Amino acid sequence: MDLSEKFVKGNGTFVDDIHMPGMLYLGFVRSPYPRAKIKKISGGITHKDVNFDIAAVGEGSEEEQTFSSTAHPVLAKDFVGYVGQPVAAVYSTDPYEAEDLIDSVEVDYEPLPGISDPEKAIDFEPINPASKSNVIVDRYFGKEFPDNVGDVVIEGRFVNNRIATNPIEPRGIVTAYDGDKLTIWIGTQSIYSIKSGICEAMHLPAEKVRVIQTDTGGAFGLKGGLFPEYVVAAWLAMKEKRPVKWIETRREHLMASRPGRGAIAKLKLYADRSGKIKGLKGEVLVDNGAFTGGSGEFSPAFIAMQLAGAYHLENAYVRARSVLTNKAPQGPYRGAGRPEAMFFIEKMMDHLADKLKMDPVDLRLKNAAEERYRSPLGFEVEPSKKFLEAAIKETGYRELSKKYNTGFSFLILYHATSGGESARIQVKDGRLKVWIGGNAHGQRHDVFSKTLINEELGVDESLVDFQLGDTDQIPAGIGAWGSRSAMVAGSAVLMAARMLREKVEKKYGKYSLNHLLGEEWDAYHNFEYSKMESSLGVNVVTADVDDLGKVKIRDCISYYDAGRVLDPANAAGQIAGGSVQGISQALYEELAFDEDGQPLTSSISDAGVATADLLPKFTIKYYKSESTLPSKAKGIGEAPTIGVPIALSRALEKAMGREFNETPIRPELLLRETAVQ
Amino acid sequence: MNPPRFEYYAPTGIEEIVGLLKKYGDDAKILAGGQSLLPLLKSRVVTIPCLISLSEVRGLSYIDERKDGVHVGAMTVDSDLEFSDIIKKHFPLILDCASQVADPLVRNTGTIGGNISHADPSNDFPSVMLAIGAKFVVQGESGTREISAEDFFVDTFETSMKHDEVLKEIILPYWGSNSYGAYGKFKKGTWNFSVAGVAVQLSMESGKINKAGIAITSMGPKAIKCTEAEKYLAGKKPDDSVLKHAAELIVGASQPSEDQYGSEKYKKEILRRLSIKTMGKAIKMDGGN
Ligand SMILES: Cc1cc2nc3c(=O)[nH]c(=O)nc-3n(C[C@H](O)[C@H](O)[C@H](O)COP(=O)(O)OP(=O)(O)OC[C@H]3O[C@@H](n4cnc5c(N)ncnc54)[C@H](O)[C@@H]3O)c2cc1C
Repeated sequence: MDLSEKFVKGNGTFVDDIHMPGMLYLGFVRSPYPRAKIKKISGGITHKDVNFDIAAVGEGSEEEQTFSSTAHPVLAKDFVGYVGQPVAAVYSTDPYEAEDLIDSVEVDYEPLPGISDPEKAIDFEPINPASKSNVIVDRYFGKEFPDNVGDVVIEGRFVNNRIATNPIEPRGIVTAYDGDKLTIWIGTQSIYSIKSGICEAMHLPAEKVRVIQTDTGGAFGLKGGLFPEYVVAAWLAMKEKRPVKWIETRREHLMASRPGRGAIAKLKLYADRSGKIKGLKGEVLVDNGAFTGGSGEFSPAFIAMQLAGAYHLENAYVRARSVLTNKAPQGPYRGAGRPEAMFFIEKMMDHLADKLKMDPVDLRLKNAAEERYRSPLGFEVEPSKKFLEAAIKETGYRELSKKYNTGFSFLILYHATSGGESARIQVKDGRLKVWIGGNAHGQRHDVFSKTLINEELGVDESLVDFQLGDTDQIPAGIGAWGSRSAMVAGSAVLMAARMLREKVEKKYGKYSLNHLLGEEWDAYHNFEYSKMESSLGVNVVTADVDDLGKVKIRDCISYYDAGRVLDPANAAGQIAGGSVQGISQALYEELAFDEDGQPLTSSISDAGVATADLLPKFTIKYYKSESTLPSKAKGIGEAPTIGVPIALSRALEKAMGREFNETPIRPELLLRETAVQ
Repeated sequence: MNPPRFEYYAPTGIEEIVGLLKKYGDDAKILAGGQSLLPLLKSRVVTIPCLISLSEVRGLSYIDERKDGVHVGAMTVDSDLEFSDIIKKHFPLILDCASQVADPLVRNTGTIGGNISHADPSNDFPSVMLAIGAKFVVQGESGTREISAEDFFVDTFETSMKHDEVLKEIILPYWGSNSYGAYGKFKKGTWNFSVAGVAVQLSMESGKINKAGIAITSMGPKAIKCTEAEKYLAGKKPDDSVLKHAAELIVGASQPSEDQYGSEKYKKEILRRLSIKTMGKAIKMDGGN
């Protein structure tokens, strides 16, 4: 059965579909306070039983510094830092009873004043007793330069508020222990992150842990890392020698998983009168949440380093900080720093164009990089002018902008290609089994894998069985995130197929399908890659606002450099889906908190996930190119969540005649003064 | 999201239900379509040790034209109202409202009786009932009694039904052949519930408003009947300035509170604009005049 048919017919096997005899169900007692001292806990599993901290794993963790003092304890010790923080755990053979038992644990808290506003948190008393200041990252990028480099200055404060990742399937885990080896079933972007995270946190040797991926119902960054609940599930399975299940509720997801975005920038852009940009200065602040182990440690740097966008920028000086707040730790969300950085630079480009009375697209053309160079902020910027010229033409921007409120965004997408990826192909009984290192969670990596194998080996796609991740079947790999899989996992599959071809050639002198399928073969390839690649993209959105402030999007056009588009149907799915998330971020999505850090968002409707009736028609076009990787592909998964919010926000600036520097745009700001009746 | 343990009864007669409600007192609650009650139970916002379902009681789902008005059984689901020719003929307001409640899945299960009895100020049907001037037939220990919509809604989640009474039927008195209606709803972001809703019921005579029924949703602790606006509109030729003034009176009756979806001022402005639109829509149905 085709995968999509399998899911549509309800035949998927997600974590919660796993049932085992003797299974125990976990429930968590969570902090009701944003900040409090814990004086006493009576009942349940506590930190005295499971005394571990969460290991930082997954996307970006390789660049992370060590923050042991602010590490997230698996279960709270003497204080809590956010509403929803796991304090104790209970379990039962009945999932209903497990929830009942949550009320049986008594926790004596002494509430303390909390802080949710990251700007105010900078000077607030340290919320973690182990740190002297709430500022946990404070770095500078680029070099100071004089203010007189330009004739005009654009200045602004730009905000991407926190949003929940909200995959359809929330987090969940099943664990089992046979007295020797711990087995974990999980919906994940990386079985390797889960394995190394568990091993590191619980001090277990690698050979004692096996991680198996189940069908995974979306992730968007959420399922790349280790969470406290997983460690408790592993610990309990080992202690009781019984299978253990924990499934997150939506409410828990909104409180206590790692939401994305949560970044503020205060920036100045300097330019000469002709519109040539001369310098960028200012600061970026990331709302880290109460503990490290998410992505708040490295995202300030990642955002700052991209701030040149796809432009040529001579001077830049940016301070990048991350600050502790009384909220759940921040984590990666589709784009993970890329949408924030592009939002900041692109907003300024639009406002500079307004100031100089130029068409924003002409301003962008004037500043597009003509040659590859390293921006003073750190990242390499590829030549972008030719692409931009093609994009203006192919999207029909000039005509659209004459008739409608039109927004245009220009993005550079840095792919997380470094680290490479692995693949394994096994031939047995006339069929092929394929594993890749990064674990798909809705992107259909099976399709491009089959295409590449077919091209390399001539094997019919119906003879290929794509496998979910399993650390016992494919021992090493990285993960699926950062728009990387078609590039590095695709290349790994291709290289593994080439290895098979070579093996057959070596044995028989030449390759033939019959020789391949008639015998047993096995090929594992670790495709090593150390460079971070990039690609360019443009989004054009036209929109209007009615007299009640409802937004009507007319066009949502994507023009991306995807390299070789390995799988057009699923690439279109990625772009449409990402565009929906972009629209949602611009208009609706926010995890809101009161001043102390008490969450105000308690349902998925409140969280603002767009429904189908709110969506426009999507137009998708590609720039013709090929990457230098064996798969010839370039990543696109994150392009729409970068480009669409910017272009939509701009279209609405045109509709309303005012600046929108924050996502989401508050409905009040979309109400025109005088109603057209 | 598992509810705490509860007892479940599904008797076939209303008398039995009343008996059970009496027996279990505050521990018991009626379960109709469950579209409001089950989410509350599953998220453990409430604990209800004893649920008494109306699902096995026959003859509670109907839409009948009778002498004094259209009679609707309490267990009639929203989608039956949405697609009823009788409703379409007499109360386009209800049709307009029903099609804007939640989504088709919820409308196939949620009942009109539950929507009203729940008395959530954000539910859409309470204001529609106030605008039409509906009467509710409730059955208790000592038989049945009628409560007018105006007397029914007391406060947030509170009605004038006694704990051991069951809402059986809704009577919608006829408004005459020249009557029209429309429901205006401005939704919160991606929510089904509204920032503001307004129910408008009118009867017309030679291009003039004969009688008006107006009530608002999500604009205070309960659905609010806008008596001043109703009185003002009666006998008026509905030109722009009349509608504008009526909208001011509607806003005057509102008591919105600030939340993450907007300030009081914003919500009042939305209500004002929505009211003008919705009255205009109802009036336009009075073909030609
Ligand atoms: C996703 C979603 C979206 C929604 N969106 C909307 C919306 O846009 N607009 C809207 O108006 N509503 C909305 N609702 C709420 C829902 O439509 C109604 O509140 C619901 O239909 C109530 O009817 P029910 O039959 O499901 O009642 P239940 O949930 O079974 O009961 C609700 C309450 O009424 C009491 N009750 C029920 N029937 C009787 C009776 N005959 N006599 C006495 N008491 C009774 C119950 O004891 C309970 O307290 C939404 C609900 C969901 C789940």
